Amino acid sequence: MKKLNVLLLFLLSLLLVACGKSEKSPSSAQLEKLTWEQIEATASGSTVNMMMWAGDPKINAYVQNYIAPAVKEQYNIDLKTVNGQGNNIVQLLMTEKQAGKKSNIDMMWINGETFYQLRQIKGLYGPFVDRLPNSQLIDLENPFIGLDFQEPIKGMEAPWGNVQMTLIYNSEKVKQLPQTRADLLAYVKKYPGTFTFDNQFTGLTFMKALLIDIAGGKDALAGNYDAAAYKKYAPQLWSYLRDLRPYLWKKGEVFPENVAQMHQLFASGELYFTMSNNDAEVDNKINEGLFQEYARAYVPDFGTIQNSHYLGIPGNAVDKAAAMVVINFMISPEAQLKKQSPEVWGDGTVLNMDKLTESMQARFLNSTDRKFSPKRKDIQDKALMEIAPQYMINLADDFRKEIINK
Amino acid sequence: MKLNKISVVVVQSIFVLFAAAPLIFGFGYALLYSFGLIGVLNEGFTIVHWERLLFESNFWGTLLFSLVVALVTMGLSLFFALLVVVAWYKNLERGALSYIVYLPLAFPGVVMAFYTFQLLSKSGFLSRLLYNLGITNGLNDFPDLINDAYGIGIIFSLLLLITPFFILLYANMYRNERIQELTELASTLGAKPIQITLKVVLPVLLKKSAFTIVLFVIFVMGTYEIPLLLGRQNPSMFSPFVINKLQKFNLNDIPQAYAISILYILLIALLIGILFWKLRGLFIERATT
Repeated sequence: MKKLNVLLLFLLSLLLVACGKSEKSPSSAQLEKLTWEQIEATASGSTVNMMMWAGDPKINAYVQNYIAPAVKEQYNIDLKTVNGQGNNIVQLLMTEKQAGKKSNIDMMWINGETFYQLRQIKGLYGPFVDRLPNSQLIDLENPFIGLDFQEPIKGMEAPWGNVQMTLIYNSEKVKQLPQTRADLLAYVKKYPGTFTFDNQFTGLTFMKALLIDIAGGKDALAGNYDAAAYKKYAPQLWSYLRDLRPYLWKKGEVFPENVAQMHQLFASGELYFTMSNNDAEVDNKINEGLFQEYARAYVPDFGTIQNSHYLGIPGNAVDKAAAMVVINFMISPEAQLKKQSPEVWGDGTVLNMDKLTESMQARFLNSTDRKFSPKRKDIQDKALMEIAPQYMINLADDFRKEIINK
Repeated sequence: MKLNKISVVVVQSIFVLFAAAPLIFGFGYALLYSFGLIGVLNEGFTIVHWERLLFESNFWGTLLFSLVVALVTMGLSLFFALLVVVAWYKNLERGALSYIVYLPLAFPGVVMAFYTFQLLSKSGFLSRLLYNLGITNGLNDFPDLINDAYGIGIIFSLLLLITPFFILLYANMYRNERIQELTELASTLGAKPIQITLKVVLPVLLKKSAFTIVLFVIFVMGTYEIPLLLGRQNPSMFSPFVINKLQKFNLNDIPQAYAISILYILLIALLIGILFWKLRGLFIERATT
């Protein structure tokens, strides 16, 4: 019995140590009653843990060497980054939610599919975007920003950046760019083994563009998920991909596990094409020395998906006030301007130019110093909206069943 | 004596707390999750995830592929390790080889996978060398050794990681089991070198390392980074297969991932149980000597 008591005491102390994070931050209900000035005052002296994809040195440098020092200087907030994206965030919040504990992260960078998953598990704090003074400058009327995978963001996540997918190609090898599905099929037959797409988010985004094209283009699959439409058009997509398959990299028997591997294969000359969800990627990668100067990017006539990325706050975050202050700074004109430069990141802004001062508008217009990537205005007409999340879930499952496993 | 008993209880408690309890709790959690009894999105008891796993997924193919890769890897690894120890035992005792053999042990799996990729991919070092020597005319003449259907890249990478371990293991056994003396004795009794190797050296080494070999087969079957980078989506090895279910876009696949891990653990536990039973004589013998 004595032994059991000692054991219980030990377990209890472990539990107390694990749950010992102090909570001086206001609760969600208290937060709603505070003015913005009070929120800033509350946030002072806090530490904000931001979970973000840390796979790009430029993006890491922007957050760690620009955002973090700025929020420390202006608001006395320590911003720390934690590596993790999409499913890591969802898994973490699911586990924390089940355990009924406060989150280890205070804010996170999320994309559409993660927003959908976090809504499924009711893992987000909000609505909070309207509380941010700089949110008045966001171009929420723009459906590429105000809708995330066809779902209104309803203040549950703050738009942070906007990008469009481009196909990146070796301009020394590819002289005639495939503009249609038929062109692409003709290209892979002429240059077998030099084209593929990855088995992750980027590849799925490419497949979504093909599906939209098959369905009739632009708004053909707009709105909620339509099971009948998917049933009608998806078989045509698989049929098309089966036509492409024998001429893809490694005869389509394997697909690169991620876009980084595809970039590597492109850089080594094994592939003539790679792709990216960032339309300024070519400039980034040439600046980094990964791609040579023959790399160029374009959007085929059938279009590519344009989407935004966002910043969210977990429902069980400890320092929500401080996270809101940091997010407000990240959507400020200065921070957005800095981010837009390809030398820094090359990420498109989410701000409405008409709402900015004239001098700031001029600075935005003059800051776009892309050398190798297409200008945003040249590809905007070919931008396709993200389709409902269920399409993506089905495409991911069926791609495995119809292509990979066959 | 009393102190001794207390220390045994303390050691046992520590083992239960830090080794057994997390595993048991984890297993229980996975079991409940797979039957829909816990989990944010689960809605109550169901066997649908198990049905999908057993009848719709590629679980059995994945298991078979993982087993074949593990057996081939271990077979080749043992062959090379035994060859090195039997042929160059003296060099392993001193000189450059005795140090070099430790080197691959310092490489994490992901680094070894990356080196293998750089060496064996179509645009890798070997392909470039053959092209510059005029043996191939370009990338496409070089065979698929990475992300290939037979797991060649995976096996190569794992071989580089595992073989040095077995070389060191056998070199130590060679010394501790006095194989040099047994060899000399057999020779004195008239045995030929081939007979000494096949009838004396190999049986002793393999028998003594049997359980380690089994553990390594299990380790190779569950390896993650190397098959992720060098393998295929189909056939896939076990760990990438589970992670694919656990961390992709469909949250409703998560219970299936837990079901896979449970089934895998049960199968492996069964395998270890059978082998332990079969090899129990060896353990009893080891315990009494």
